[in-house]
Amino acid sequence: MRPSAAALVLLGVAVAALVAHRLPAVGVLAAMLLAVCLRAGRRSKPYLWGTLFSAGFVFLLSPLLQSTGYHVLWSGPDVPVLGRLDVTTEELRIAGLNALRLAAVGFAFAAYALLLDHDRLIAAATARRSVLAAALATRLVPTLERDAAGLVEALRGRGLEPEGLRGHAALLSPLLAGSLERGLNLAEAMEARGFGRPGRTRVPPPPWRLRDYGAVVLSITVIAVAALWL
Amino acid sequence: MALASIDRLTYAYAGAPPALREASLRVEEGEVVLLLGASGSGKSTLLRALAGLVPWFHGGRFEGRVEVDGHDTRRARPADLAGTVASVFQDPEDQVVLGRVEAEVAFGLENVGTPAGDIAGVVGRALAAVGAEHLAGRRVTELSGGELQRVCLASALALEPRLLLLDEPTSQLDREGAEAFLEHALGNGSAVVLSEQRPATVLRYADRVVFLERGRILLDAPRDDALEWLEEHRPAWTRQASNNLSLVGEETVCRVAGVSFAYGDGPRVLDGASLELRRGEIVALTGPNGCGKTTLAKLAAGLLEPHAGTVERIGRSTFLLQDPGRYLVRERADDEVALGGGLAEARRALAAVGLAGYEARHPRDLSSGERERLALATVLVGDPDLLVLDEPTRGIDPERKLELAALLRAQAGERATLVVTHDGPFAAAVADREISLAALPEAALA
Repeated sequence: MRPSAAALVLLGVAVAALVAHRLPAVGVLAAMLLAVCLRAGRRSKPYLWGTLFSAGFVFLLSPLLQSTGYHVLWSGPDVPVLGRLDVTTEELRIAGLNALRLAAVGFAFAAYALLLDHDRLIAAATARRSVLAAALATRLVPTLERDAAGLVEALRGRGLEPEGLRGHAALLSPLLAGSLERGLNLAEAMEARGFGRPGRTRVPPPPWRLRDYGAVVLSITVIAVAALWL
Repeated sequence: MALASIDRLTYAYAGAPPALREASLRVEEGEVVLLLGASGSGKSTLLRALAGLVPWFHGGRFEGRVEVDGHDTRRARPADLAGTVASVFQDPEDQVVLGRVEAEVAFGLENVGTPAGDIAGVVGRALAAVGAEHLAGRRVTELSGGELQRVCLASALALEPRLLLLDEPTSQLDREGAEAFLEHALGNGSAVVLSEQRPATVLRYADRVVFLERGRILLDAPRDDALEWLEEHRPAWTRQASNNLSLVGEETVCRVAGVSFAYGDGPRVLDGASLELRRGEIVALTGPNGCGKTTLAKLAAGLLEPHAGTVERIGRSTFLLQDPGRYLVRERADDEVALGGGLAEARRALAAVGLAGYEARHPRDLSSGERERLALATVLVGDPDLLVLDEPTRGIDPERKLELAALLRAQAGERATLVVTHDGPFAAAVADREISLAALPEAALA
């Protein structure tokens, strides 16, 4: 299947998870996307941790910030500005729904970043500059992961061990600076290789096949079904 | 008319002193010009000027004139010169745009408007020309540094440039890899201007040699005349240092016995390798790219744990990684070094590596050669019992290499030192003994 068709399917399932209202349906969609992500093996680890952490955060925090429902499960103290902290069955359901939606979007992005051939996506794109920028941004996560591991290894090589949240947080600034420096070097190399010059050509993309059209239909169908019945 | 000419070029990056002063140079069709000079002497800036990246990409103050193929670079953008000019930069990882090898090589061809139907054929021929046709279809993230460097060269050669600019392109390659790279790069009829810190490998390919110092061109001469000049005025660039062997003590600082190691689920990198390092000795660990030198060194320093075998070590060990960019976590050079010891000791270490006066500089404002030396200071501080250096001469000019060898020799008695290197002359200059690591399956060491 063409990467652009596969990207449409991933987008379709993620949008379906956003528009669906039934908790089990959103759960199934998120689980499907998770299963796709896991095909990337160990490379999926940072994406999965990031997504699960964010979704868990939403699930834990949002019931405390809402005041919905009558079936109180836990009643807490009064907090200035926020009012009484309590958790109801309805709030838990909404929090679960939002957490699963976020997880579905995160897994869809992870599958896009890890499993699709971005070069072919760029080659097929009409808005090549935008797609190239998106593809380079997608590479940021694994590059940052590798840079962070390199910084920690260099510190260990100096007999130092970054400890705790504070020790690791101190590496964020050099990580960002290194990333900006790499971005400048890459931009310089792209300029030297003629990027942005008028009269560009491109390697002809392969023709669309039946299953590529099928992927587009599937994508639209999933969104429609989710919006109407789920 | 010359293919490229630089006429009285003075250039300064924004907020910095001039990187080039009154530099003039002519490059004829098909000529190979070798740029030599210490770190920060202006070699990279000269190459950027020929590519039009100076001043277009870097800004700064530009006086003088640079013409390439009749185009004044103050009017023609670097992208306009692409195709006539092609560049390969120092670090291949920072110039790769796309994810797969063929797409990467095709990127420049697409930009310069090569007819769509011809691109695949040109890509295949360019990869074959650098001996990298087997890499087609591979992800660039799976390639070694040497393989990636070849892909970058293929990307440049695919454009069939009339002027090829190479900025220390062999710094990550072993001797055989470097020679193969140069044969591919220099054998296609393009004019080539390349900078190098290992002149012995490159000199025989050069028609002319240009020597820069503090932004000025001190020498521009045919190779044989240049060799005589270097012999007389800059002998470090042509001679090999002598080696006064140290008195090696009896105390074993590190003993690696029968270790095996593999990264993740990958193939074994080491199988039954052994190594012993005694206080007072400097050992050079050599071998081809990919034979497991760095892995063995990391096992010795305790950065990796072996899957089989044992590693015994006494005292404190430090390890210098290949990439000096990993040593830039503080805002000042002396603070950076002081992470591994006190501030006074850090300043002594900076002075020892030739960075006295750089204490307050931001580490990211240093040139690549200065960053290498800063990184070295960070592992020298704190008097380690075992010092492991992985390719410490990468990006360092011959005069600095001699100073580094002298520094390591002067401090040799305090510790055991293991130097992983591709640099044969440096190994000979600094080491008491050399261990050559073969690629698997025979990884056992003397």
